[in-house]
Amino acid sequence: MALTAAGLAVAAVLALPLVFLLIEAHGAGAATVGNLIFRRLTADLLWNTVRLTVVVTAACAVIGTATAWCVERTNLPGRRVWAVLVVVPLAIPDFVVSFGWASLWTWVHGFEGAVVVMTLAVYPLVYLPVAASLRAADPGQEEVARSLGVGRARTFLRITLGQARGAILGGCLLVALVLLAEYGAFEILGYQTFTTEIFTEFSVSFSVPAACALSLVLILLSLLVLGGEGMLRGKGRISRSGPLAARQMPPHRLGRATLPALAGFVALTVLALGVPVGSSIYWMVARSSHAILGVSLMSSALHTGLYAAAAGALDTVAALPIALLAIRHAGRLRYLLERSTYLVLAVPGVVTAFALSYFSERYGGGFLYQTAPLLVVCYAIMFFPLALVGVKASLARAPVSLDEIARSLGQRRLAVLWRVTLRLAGPGLVAAFCLVFLSVVTELTATLLLIPTGVQTLATQFWAYEQNLSYGQAAPFALVMIAVAAIPSYVLGRFFDRTAHS
Amino acid sequence: MTQLVVTGLHKAFGDHPVLTGVDLEVPAGELTAILGPSGSGKTTLLRVLAGFERADAGTVTIGDVVVDGPGVHVAPERRQIGYVPQEGSLFPHLTVAANIGFGLPARQRRGPVIAELLEAVGLAGLGKRYPHQLSGGQQQRVALARALAIRPKIVLLDEPFASLDAHLRASVRADVQRLLAEAGITGILVTHDQDEALSTADRVAVLRHGRIAQCAAPQDLYDRPADADIARFIGDANLIDGVIDTDTVDTILGKLPVEPACLPALSSDKATVLIRPEQVELAGPGPREGRELAGHVVAYGYHGHDAVIHVRPDLDAAAPTIIVRTLGGQQLPPGSPVVLRARGPVLAWPPD
Repeated sequence: MALTAAGLAVAAVLALPLVFLLIEAHGAGAATVGNLIFRRLTADLLWNTVRLTVVVTAACAVIGTATAWCVERTNLPGRRVWAVLVVVPLAIPDFVVSFGWASLWTWVHGFEGAVVVMTLAVYPLVYLPVAASLRAADPGQEEVARSLGVGRARTFLRITLGQARGAILGGCLLVALVLLAEYGAFEILGYQTFTTEIFTEFSVSFSVPAACALSLVLILLSLLVLGGEGMLRGKGRISRSGPLAARQMPPHRLGRATLPALAGFVALTVLALGVPVGSSIYWMVARSSHAILGVSLMSSALHTGLYAAAAGALDTVAALPIALLAIRHAGRLRYLLERSTYLVLAVPGVVTAFALSYFSERYGGGFLYQTAPLLVVCYAIMFFPLALVGVKASLARAPVSLDEIARSLGQRRLAVLWRVTLRLAGPGLVAAFCLVFLSVVTELTATLLLIPTGVQTLATQFWAYEQNLSYGQAAPFALVMIAVAAIPSYVLGRFFDRTAHS
Repeated sequence: MTQLVVTGLHKAFGDHPVLTGVDLEVPAGELTAILGPSGSGKTTLLRVLAGFERADAGTVTIGDVVVDGPGVHVAPERRQIGYVPQEGSLFPHLTVAANIGFGLPARQRRGPVIAELLEAVGLAGLGKRYPHQLSGGQQQRVALARALAIRPKIVLLDEPFASLDAHLRASVRADVQRLLAEAGITGILVTHDQDEALSTADRVAVLRHGRIAQCAAPQDLYDRPADADIARFIGDANLIDGVIDTDTVDTILGKLPVEPACLPALSSDKATVLIRPEQVELAGPGPREGRELAGHVVAYGYHGHDAVIHVRPDLDAAAPTIIVRTLGGQQLPPGSPVVLRARGPVLAWPPD
């Protein structure tokens, strides 16, 4: 009962931005909102947002799947090294990739620039799940297909892609949601989408009804993406059909395709990793002025760390009741509760930040506006689904049967929690914390809207310098963010790999 | 002395009843098997006894303490019941020694108790290993040692041998029997394997439709099942129609004497008659006694120590086949003509 109550409370907080938005839209009146939605600007934004989302998602699907297949199922030379190199770009914030390209070449601009930059920044979101599913799927199915007289190419299409289908769709969903929510990268590239426009309406023009109306359309788009993914996913299962131990299949021989494949991997690494990192290093070396930079770096890194740690801890604790309900107690209400928290995915950070800040200002008497707690709560809401994934994975490692055994051996509930559950779930809880921590470190949009006055984080300080065209000053902040995010991401990747395997 | 008494135990999940009035008495120091087909509620019964599930109605008494009853529910950790689940469920983050010592007070965990238990289950020297470094049989032994370490009054074993292969099963089973007997601990073994129940336990309780249908020593259960259903469940059975004639029954295998204990329950002259396969023999070429049945072999299963033959009676092609168990003997390919003869006395019940 206490668990259900806690779960409901968490779900209620998560729903706050959406509720605020609906209240505001209701207050503004249907006619006003209608006028704000049905105008030329909306159509332009819709065209910009949708075409970019479609093109980049498709490109990521192709690149992510192809690289995953090469790394997991072929004899590509240096597979272990590539497996790391193709993932690292995920640790580079999208707005840093954007900065890396746009600061070097002026042609990286508008739609084409956005396609190049965003594809290179987010394709690992497809690579990671596809690689994991190819690793977990039964390679014996391919052999069976071949023995049934199905050719190589059709086996790849029908079996291999079929096994990875759910993972590809899941990756595409993440890509599309990231694109819908992205602000910084598009602002640098001068590309206008719903998110950049909402940001401008709210923080520059202070037009709340307009920001509100556009937010509703954006959320609708996100819901369409979520619903579409759910429909396409279908009911098929990709798991192994039997409990038999995994058997290694000899990798496919690339043969004459080896050189082109290697060239592809080299090019991808240079473009996705080399350009942003190289560009940042170039600007730092060429233009940096060392005065006061050290102090400013320390101070902003400290604030970034504090906010990220607070949000990580808050999310890990908040995810516990929902994850416990989802894993240990079946039931329709609990299932719905868990699913409903995923609605957060449909609310981009800019909307969450805008809703929280506007309402705290208007109805909270400005009490919390631009304070650290509000910012932390905003982060916690935005990244809750990440924490939930981690906490669920960790609780799955501590099955109820072990709790029961421990109790039958004479241990009280608290002792069981300490000696069994937390020991087993601990690493996963740390992983959930880290996931949120990393996301906060590289978060820009909501931070810009909600950061307490006079405080800078790594991301906002980078942004301030970048907008001033002080590339030399901005670059060190970019490099620190990359360093902070890259190493733990690698460790996290290893953790979730092992979870998937055991 | 009775160690465990269960009366009128009910348990339902939602509107799906699982236990519908279980009554059971388990004598101290014996191993009792609870035998039932999958889905009969065996595991639920065990989980209620362990205190993991709460019964809807009924009482459970351990020794002279009521642990489940109206307004009473003693927590699992205060029941002193050892539990050995099907998969062993060892704590993956602890060594074998730490697993065994888990339920002991902190100062005893490093004492000689652990080494003694390891020795007892035949795993001396493996205390520093982790569960994933052990074979399935070794894991089960550790799980048993872990349960025994707390000196429980009762040990519950939930199909502990099901995941082991045949050879290993026999040796782990023998160890369990020996260890429980040595320590004088009451054991309750849940299984769906009738061979296992009959060969391992001192008493067997048949769980059917959420109740105990019969509880008896293995041989009594086999020789005197309470009804045709139990007869079919415990061992191979020929259940054929018969007509009662005072203290005998007329069947296609001739007139056979009826076990006197069955007679009072037979209200009409129609009956279902149990003839065990080993009660039927192949008649030799000698003189006929007028109660033989001629038939043809439809299947012949050779098992080394014996052979099981399915015979279709010549009289009636629609009649069920008769199962015969013989000790070795000649090879009888399908189609071979045979003559069967049954030996009484037989059990008989009113037809379903």
